[in-house]
Amino acid sequence: MKKSKKLFSKCYILICFLFFYLPILVTVIFSFNSSKSLTRFTGFSMRWYAELFRNSEVASAVYVSVTIAVLATVISTVLGTITAIGLSRSRKLLKEYLLNVNNIPILNPEIVTAISLMLLFSSFGMTKGYLTMLLAHIAFCTPYVITSVYPKVRGLDPNLANAAMDLGATPAQALTKVVIPIIRPGIYAGALLAFTMSFDDFVISYFVSGNGVKNISIVVYNMTKRINPTINALSTVVIAVIILVLLAMRLLPKLRRGKNSRRPGNRALAWAVAAICLCAVCLTLPKGMGQAGEKPSLKIYNAGEYIDPDLIGLFEDMYDCTVIYETFESNEMMYTKLSGGETYDILIPSDYMIERLIREEALAPIDWSLIPNSEYLMPEVTDRSYDPGNVYSVPYFWGTVGILYDTSVVDEKDLKAGWEILRDDAYAGNVYMYDSERDAFMVALKALGYSMNTTDEQQIQEAFDWLTDQRDTMAPIYAGDDVIDNMVSGNKALAVVYSGDAAYIMSENPDMAYFTPEEGTNIWYDAMVMTKDCANTRLAHEFMNFMLDPENALANTEFVGYTSTVSPAFEEMRSGTYKGIDAYVPDVDNSNNEIFAYQEAKVKKIYAELWTKVKAK
Amino acid sequence: MNKLIELKNLTKNFEDQQVLRGIDLNVYENEFLTLLGPSGCGKTTTLRIIAGFEEADSGQVLFDGKDISALPPYKRPVNTVFQKYALFPHMNVFDNIAFGLNIRKADKQEIRRKVEAMLALVGLEGFGSRDVTLLSGGQQQRVAIARALVNEPKVLLLDEPLGALDARIRKQMQMELKKIQREVGITFIYVTHDQEEALSMSDTVVVMNEGMIQQIGSPTDIYNEPENRFVASFIGESNIVEATMIEDYLVGFDGCRFECVDRGFGEMEPVEVVLRPEDLDIVDPENARIRGTVRQVTFKGVHYEILVETDIRTYMIHTTDYTEIGKHVGLDFGPEDIHVMWPMGSY
Repeated sequence: MKKSKKLFSKCYILICFLFFYLPILVTVIFSFNSSKSLTRFTGFSMRWYAELFRNSEVASAVYVSVTIAVLATVISTVLGTITAIGLSRSRKLLKEYLLNVNNIPILNPEIVTAISLMLLFSSFGMTKGYLTMLLAHIAFCTPYVITSVYPKVRGLDPNLANAAMDLGATPAQALTKVVIPIIRPGIYAGALLAFTMSFDDFVISYFVSGNGVKNISIVVYNMTKRINPTINALSTVVIAVIILVLLAMRLLPKLRRGKNSRRPGNRALAWAVAAICLCAVCLTLPKGMGQAGEKPSLKIYNAGEYIDPDLIGLFEDMYDCTVIYETFESNEMMYTKLSGGETYDILIPSDYMIERLIREEALAPIDWSLIPNSEYLMPEVTDRSYDPGNVYSVPYFWGTVGILYDTSVVDEKDLKAGWEILRDDAYAGNVYMYDSERDAFMVALKALGYSMNTTDEQQIQEAFDWLTDQRDTMAPIYAGDDVIDNMVSGNKALAVVYSGDAAYIMSENPDMAYFTPEEGTNIWYDAMVMTKDCANTRLAHEFMNFMLDPENALANTEFVGYTSTVSPAFEEMRSGTYKGIDAYVPDVDNSNNEIFAYQEAKVKKIYAELWTKVKAK
Repeated sequence: MNKLIELKNLTKNFEDQQVLRGIDLNVYENEFLTLLGPSGCGKTTTLRIIAGFEEADSGQVLFDGKDISALPPYKRPVNTVFQKYALFPHMNVFDNIAFGLNIRKADKQEIRRKVEAMLALVGLEGFGSRDVTLLSGGQQQRVAIARALVNEPKVLLLDEPLGALDARIRKQMQMELKKIQREVGITFIYVTHDQEEALSMSDTVVVMNEGMIQQIGSPTDIYNEPENRFVASFIGESNIVEATMIEDYLVGFDGCRFECVDRGFGEMEPVEVVLRPEDLDIVDPENARIRGTVRQVTFKGVHYEILVETDIRTYMIHTTDYTEIGKHVGLDFGPEDIHVMWPMGSY
């Protein structure tokens, strides 16, 4: 009886730990994978670590994360400790109020804190970057320090400081030799909390940072857009750092006690901490100054993993300028950030968003005479409905949405059904749908033979019925970018994907093929636009011209995998790297294809509500 | 004896509460002076003003004739032993005692020598490396005293230092404190609310109440010649009786006239008379002018406490002889047992 109980409790602990640590373990293991897959282990290699350390974006993110964490920890620990000591001496009522007020930032949802801080910095007209991120981190770390230091201070005999002064210590000596050593465990705990909070913060950093300053979390978040095992390598490094910090925090006090608690240890530690801070500050200054230097700068806002980073460096060298490069997760997120008062020179959004920005008069017209490389633009990508005559936009990438299928599973004859193959019960349980309301409704509307930009409620309702029917009979999985890795591994037979992703999957898994149904599909364009706020329009034009240079465009399309808008680059890819991969070549001859049009809020709401219902069950 | 500390008309308010209402006091060299009074009487505040932890609203603190009112605590030639010792929990016994010397950057050898001497003085030889938080209350007290004395202050301030100890160790520490004071030969200013402690240790007792000094005197003066009802009732137990001073050496109360040794109160003045319970004798009612009935007898160890009810009041008597309850008795006392004082509120 007793034995079985013991066994049970042991198993219970084991299961708990497995639950906590298995995800971390998987991440660590796959960081040593030799192939690009995140689900199949093909062999041991250090390839992703090598890639990680070559990646300058990651290196600067590690630098930002570490220096911000160290500075924020030191400053918030000092501030919080002083506040806690001060609080313990104030009147009871004031103390209670302040402690309650102190809890608000801790209990506040992070996103609220993030947006409040972003708005605050905007309203002060502060340039977002390293300083704003540091200030924000200090702001959200300090309450944690206060909460962990205050109980220690409250437990102190108020006469301890008096006793020290009575024995000849100045107030400063009483603080450093008596009060602080006694509350040290609380200070350590607070500092540790502050460090971990700061080091892995994403939400707040994401909103208050800007001008290309990114910490590790932001970089990782942007990386998840396209499957990339360097994330695993980076995560493993982060885990290692956190474990080291935790160990240091646990071991240091013990080591010191072992040394009979005499001075030298304390002093050495203090000097070490001071030295680290000083180094951090010194390292920070030149970087901050470099950014404020004389060189002209260009601020670009693009989707994540949507440019060959080498091109940015090349452009900077060629034009002796600084590029501040930031990334967004979706067009909507980009729009939110613009509305928040953030300014950029160049944006690279999608067709329907460009249409919206043109309507809102947020863009500046392009001077095509400054873009001689426009002669290389493919005729198929210019003068489209979202910007007739390309007054405001320079096409960047383009493609379609189609069906990726596993040729070893799917019968070619079934493809004749077009979009309806997604309701073919031969493939029930074997389908990925794209988890995006517009793409999902596009599939249904096209299958029904309607326009994907329809505002007719009857048609929308029919599309909804199509989607719910498909949901009930086919049990599809609504997936995001994880579909890429799953299809590379051949996990399902059919998937709705973007052509650029399809091209990449096909290059990794030769069993896969891509087709766009006869009923038509979404043909989409992403283009470079110049905002009204653009200060250096000459440099902006130079950048856009630079990206259309056939050689650069080739490098870019090779890196990103999406279809180039530059004719020589397109031809080179089609006959070279992506030879035989038809997903790279958008089907332009089908008159049923459409471009997404900007949706009025009222229509968007109908789609959004119905999509929620589809996914609800 | 030389005047060492002089307090001149100290006043202090906390928020709207008046804690000190004009304290004037002289403290002499080598004196063991006790500030005695109930809690809230201002005795601790007075001590903290001398130490420099509080600032008086008005008045002066003179040390050797120089005004030290503006000096911070760490520049004053006094050291304090705190109520709950306030030892530094992160240091061992040695480091606690050496704290003041280390702050002054004294020579290492000298520190070792002085700390060892202090440990010997307070009877804690060999305790240097002990963790202070693991010591008993009495031992912590000794460390606190050593920590203060090692700095060789001219005055040692002690704020109810024995308050947290149990009765037996307390008695023992009282004697040791007195011994230490004689050995080091410096002035002690001692704060307590325990009248027995004050009487047994002090050269001078200062009785305080409601922010004012009620009486300054030697323990015997304070006990035998209380100046007012407060002092009389606070120091020991007393029978306090409203009376009329008929003329010098003659006082009237309970319908009788009694001879006494007091004079100078005028004629037919309302006064109060203190009769200590141990000065009253129970006698045959026929030989006494005050008579009553025994209502209660309580055994107190050395003596019995007997309450005798007369027609007018109840008297308390301390005697070693047992008397049974309900017995009709008389009370007797001599002229020297009657102590006449001004009633409360008429100075």
